[in-house]
Amino acid sequence: MKRAAIVGMGLITGPQPGRTVRRLEAEAARLAIKDAGLKRSQINGAIQLRRSGGGGERPVLTDAYPRVLGLPVNFYYTVGRGGCLAGLGVAHALAYLDLGIADYVVLTGGVDDFSRSRLSKAQGARGMVHMPKEGYWGKPFGDLRAPSHHSFFAARHMHEFGTTSEQLGEIAVAQRRWANLNPRAKFYDREMTVEDHQNSPFVVEPYRLFDVCQVSDGAVSVVLTSEDRAKDGPKTPVWVMGVGFGEAMAHLWWEKRNYSELAVEPAKRQAFGQAGIELDDIDTAQLYDCFTGEVLFQLEDYGWAEKGEGGTFVQEKGIGPGGAIAVNTSGGLLSAYHLGDLTGLSEAVLQLRGEAGQRQVDNCRVSLVTGHGGEVLSPGMCSIHSTLLLGTE
Amino acid sequence: MPYTKKKPRPSIDYDIAPFWEGVNEHRFLLCHCRECDEWYWPMAFCQKCEPGPFGENMHWDEASGRGNVFVFNVHHIAFLPAFEDDLPYVFAMIELEEGPMFGTNIIGCEPGEIEIGAPVEIVFEDYEDGVTLPKARLVR
Repeated sequence: MKRAAIVGMGLITGPQPGRTVRRLEAEAARLAIKDAGLKRSQINGAIQLRRSGGGGERPVLTDAYPRVLGLPVNFYYTVGRGGCLAGLGVAHALAYLDLGIADYVVLTGGVDDFSRSRLSKAQGARGMVHMPKEGYWGKPFGDLRAPSHHSFFAARHMHEFGTTSEQLGEIAVAQRRWANLNPRAKFYDREMTVEDHQNSPFVVEPYRLFDVCQVSDGAVSVVLTSEDRAKDGPKTPVWVMGVGFGEAMAHLWWEKRNYSELAVEPAKRQAFGQAGIELDDIDTAQLYDCFTGEVLFQLEDYGWAEKGEGGTFVQEKGIGPGGAIAVNTSGGLLSAYHLGDLTGLSEAVLQLRGEAGQRQVDNCRVSLVTGHGGEVLSPGMCSIHSTLLLGTE
Repeated sequence: MPYTKKKPRPSIDYDIAPFWEGVNEHRFLLCHCRECDEWYWPMAFCQKCEPGPFGENMHWDEASGRGNVFVFNVHHIAFLPAFEDDLPYVFAMIELEEGPMFGTNIIGCEPGEIEIGAPVEIVFEDYEDGVTLPKARLVR
């Protein structure tokens, strides 16, 4: 297969009241195309990266950003499963580039969750109730949003391995320290200690408020092209080194494996195999962090820590600035902005281009971006896992 | 649309309808393969036997309604106003004696009385709007 690279990126963060998702996506795509030194007329294909959440489906979006922006594309459609978008979108783009169907493919995903959740809060609800939760699992029992069942991850980990809330707090604090270096981050100006974490109220016990990600407005767009064109652009190409997927429903969900591990193993094997690299080659890890527990699981499932020892790892080795592995260097979904795994994708691109400002990781050559999401049933919590490896070579 | 005190009710489709018909009669049914005696929830084609067309060789048969707490949480906030009066409430995964996992509330006790592994039984709660929900209660 031909090699491909990300040659342009647009990133929109911060509250965007009064703007539709499609408008945000059109603007992000405009920025990405401009960043790549291209004209709209050169874009042959567009994909929308659409997040769904909490077992629900985002209401169907009529109309589409390529029409709004004016892209002469031969194809446009939507991919995404829960917060797992980047890996799926890149895999699609690679196929079109390899087949010669497209010279340039733009992938774009936007959200207006912050603005919409403010409206629903004014009407008496909490969280992302604007994304209706359907499906026949827990809704009548008050299993209403992601914390209603994702907290089971942390509860089981605590039960099986003795992990503590303070250890989860270390994850939140480490990411906050990265966010304190990122002027775009929601919590750029607000420091956090483990004591602050411990003093934050329970949302769904064992999760406290600071274990739970925020919701955001914003959008990310990237332009991909094949190797022959990638070197023509103004920006350092960010190469796709490998992509892979795993799925919890590969196992009967009542085997309960999904309460102690994510479907990392096949995804990691596929992506690292394509790239021909090892875990030690990773310079930044952008791990999907809808809750602190997901970060803990991935630190173990990728192999930075033994299973059950993620809590000790974050306390003793560290994942913040100066830690053993730089995790979620933007501040992540917990402390920067929640654009699904596009938060991690955009941060990986910035780090690999050397454009990450104060939080730049020295000599960053390889970044891992993971995606996660999509309940089969609530107990199939976030059953898809994607591994995307990006690099400077 | 202001959010009201009206609680969400089960989403029922063809695959899960027999389960809720059983609940209405206070019978706790699981999806059962009578050939190999494997039990599932919700509907599944038998994963051990050669599946029949549309999985229609599976039967919704009455189960023990007994199990153990596999994991639970305690909701301290209500995402919808309809659950405000229930706070704090417990949502749990019950590992049923037949094997499948079933998610429901544990009622009739304080959250602090619940431990992982504790035996529970399914009980039925009838509501004024005609809906019945299967919930779990600690077996003491």
